[in-house]
Amino acid sequence: MAKLWTVIKREFLERVRTRWFLIVTVFGPVFFGVIMVLPAYLSVRGMKDVRVADIRIIDATGTGLGDRVATRLNGGPMGDAAATQVVVVAPTDVAAAESLATKDVMAKTRRGYLVLDSLTISAQKATYAGRNASSLNEVQIIESALRSAILGQRLEKEGLDPKRVEALTRVKVDMSAERITDKGRGGSGIGSAIFGFMIAFLLYMMIVLYGQNILRGVLEEKTTRVAEVIVSSVSTDVLLAGKVIGVGAVGLLQQAVWLASAAGLYQFRAKIFVALGMPAMPAIPLPQVPPMLIVALVLFFILGYALYAALFAAVGAMVSSQEDANQAAQPVVMLLVFSIIFAQPVMLNPTSRLAEIVSWIPFSAPVIMPMRMSAIQIPWYELVGSLSGVAVTAAICVWLSARIYRVGLLMYGKRPNMRELARWIRQS
Amino acid sequence: MADLALEIRGITKRFAEHVAVRDLSLAVPKGAVYGLLGPNGAGKTTTIRMILNVIAPDSGSITLLGQPNTAPGLLDRLGYLPEERGLYKKMQVRRLLRFLAELKGVNAKTADARIDHWLERLSLRTAEKDWGNAKVDELSRGMQQKVQFIGTLLHDPDLVILDEPFSGLDPINAQALKDTVVELKHSGKTVVFSTHLMDNAERLCDSVCIIARGEKVLDGTVIGVKSEHNKRNIALALAGDPSPGVSAVLTDRSLVSRMDDNNRFFELEMATGGDPQLLLQRLVGAGAAVQRFELIQPSLHQIFLDKVGAAGVEEGMSGHG
Repeated sequence: MAKLWTVIKREFLERVRTRWFLIVTVFGPVFFGVIMVLPAYLSVRGMKDVRVADIRIIDATGTGLGDRVATRLNGGPMGDAAATQVVVVAPTDVAAAESLATKDVMAKTRRGYLVLDSLTISAQKATYAGRNASSLNEVQIIESALRSAILGQRLEKEGLDPKRVEALTRVKVDMSAERITDKGRGGSGIGSAIFGFMIAFLLYMMIVLYGQNILRGVLEEKTTRVAEVIVSSVSTDVLLAGKVIGVGAVGLLQQAVWLASAAGLYQFRAKIFVALGMPAMPAIPLPQVPPMLIVALVLFFILGYALYAALFAAVGAMVSSQEDANQAAQPVVMLLVFSIIFAQPVMLNPTSRLAEIVSWIPFSAPVIMPMRMSAIQIPWYELVGSLSGVAVTAAICVWLSARIYRVGLLMYGKRPNMRELARWIRQS
Repeated sequence: MADLALEIRGITKRFAEHVAVRDLSLAVPKGAVYGLLGPNGAGKTTTIRMILNVIAPDSGSITLLGQPNTAPGLLDRLGYLPEERGLYKKMQVRRLLRFLAELKGVNAKTADARIDHWLERLSLRTAEKDWGNAKVDELSRGMQQKVQFIGTLLHDPDLVILDEPFSGLDPINAQALKDTVVELKHSGKTVVFSTHLMDNAERLCDSVCIIARGEKVLDGTVIGVKSEHNKRNIALALAGDPSPGVSAVLTDRSLVSRMDDNNRFFELEMATGGDPQLLLQRLVGAGAAVQRFELIQPSLHQIFLDKVGAAGVEEGMSGHG
């Protein structure tokens, strides 16, 4: 046991000491933070720049509709209607006013111009031309101001008090979307989907990164021939176990740092946004994470990692060069890619038959199951079944890999074919 | 038997294509320097790996320091230097050595003291520079070999097994290695090493075992082996190249059964019934300017060639002795 600890310690410390680990661990969260804050920051910055009101309204309706639109664009009667220029023209002069406005827009004195005429009143038709005509967001704001102005005008015609009209037409809607599946309401829709997908992706990343890391470690011991010195002190089983546990611990440490900093970012998001001069973002509704889910998550991670780590170690022991390793690792990588390919369809419909099937396959369950669990309620028998499937498969893989590792570690030269591999497993 | 450091009884190891070791038995007394000799591909490394229980023999048994070699904790009393040297390249030398020592059950504190001692002794730690703080890949090849050698001895093993220790060593490192082997012997340790360099073996070993094609050819003390194969060899040195008359004498099969031209002298093996005095007379009679004419024991090298011959080296075998 003391020797196992020695091996674990070396595998752990030598990796944690590298610059690569420091960079990924520390800058990972910074990177995530930037990714999280930057779009919000840019869109707020963008909003400030949007001076939708800075347009000219060519009003040929003769009903004062142009003034109403201008008022709404500038935030109601209290706004600075002067920002929007309203030119009232006779229907015959529209063309001339338009060509003049076009020149002004080209000279950048105005962003665009809106033409209102008799058709606007009778058939709700209007024309907008401007530099920002391709921005859906800005066009929508103008359109909505126009709609509201026409509505107000109609209501006043019907004899409503203009002040009442103003109050009634100003409606702000905040709609939240919630998901319903075959099994009922799916919890806080988008929130848990994002959470589940993040979990799946994180597990996938950890397994890929650290599985390959193990492969490289084994290959290094083989190519530098250190392996021979080590196995004269400890058995290959201890060496393999120490490597898998030590590297796994590095992965857990990294994950812990990431999760802690993500929690920190989330906790202090308000302050961060304020510091950047942005309005506080609405809270992303995080799903409630029951303790059982956390236990299952950790179990799936440990078993899934053990399964793939053992396979990668066996691949490392089988080959003698990096080129061979890339090729030999392909089947293992394919198994992983296969799991992540199904992540999206499963996330979109976690109750489907497909989702159930891939949760039962031991090679994809460690990635898929935690994701489904955070989205929907999984029946306990399915959970236990899938978990034991992964456990049994992991045990078989570890056993097989330990045997391949034992023989392969001191074998150099040609990569073994399936028959030779079978003999390695038998003979060790 | 308690006074044997290593006893091998009838071990055989088959690989898919060939038999690497066949029914090999040998015994190494405690405190001896023992040479495992043989050409490349003879089965030396396979034998050593079986001794270390890295691979298991198909049949036969191995006893180390009085215990079967599978006994737990036994590996901690062995030091092993593999033929193919290798270290973790990115690791700091001191940390690597501490790791190797801890794997053998030495605690970190004891290990650190010994590491300093050895680094100083093999001049890897001087007043100007402590290579212990450098990374392995910053060291020269010779220095890496020293580090590996230190790693073999840090836990003060009772039995040291060196696989081709002299291969790739420069003369200075080879001298340091030889000195250390002798010192190990004086402090009561047992050293087993494999080599295909007979001169080293002849100088260093108390006993030897010659194997070829996985089978034992002969074994015994160096003195015993040499006297057993005492075929009245003669070292002959001549001034200048031999004249045709002298050559005729040397190729006379009734006198000389074999001749090995060593450039500076010939090693002659007398034919059965051949008289050295008669040979000398005829050489002088043929006008040879004799500088040296000495009855010698055959060198281990000569015995090795006798016994194994060129045929002992299997074709296509390389590296894995």
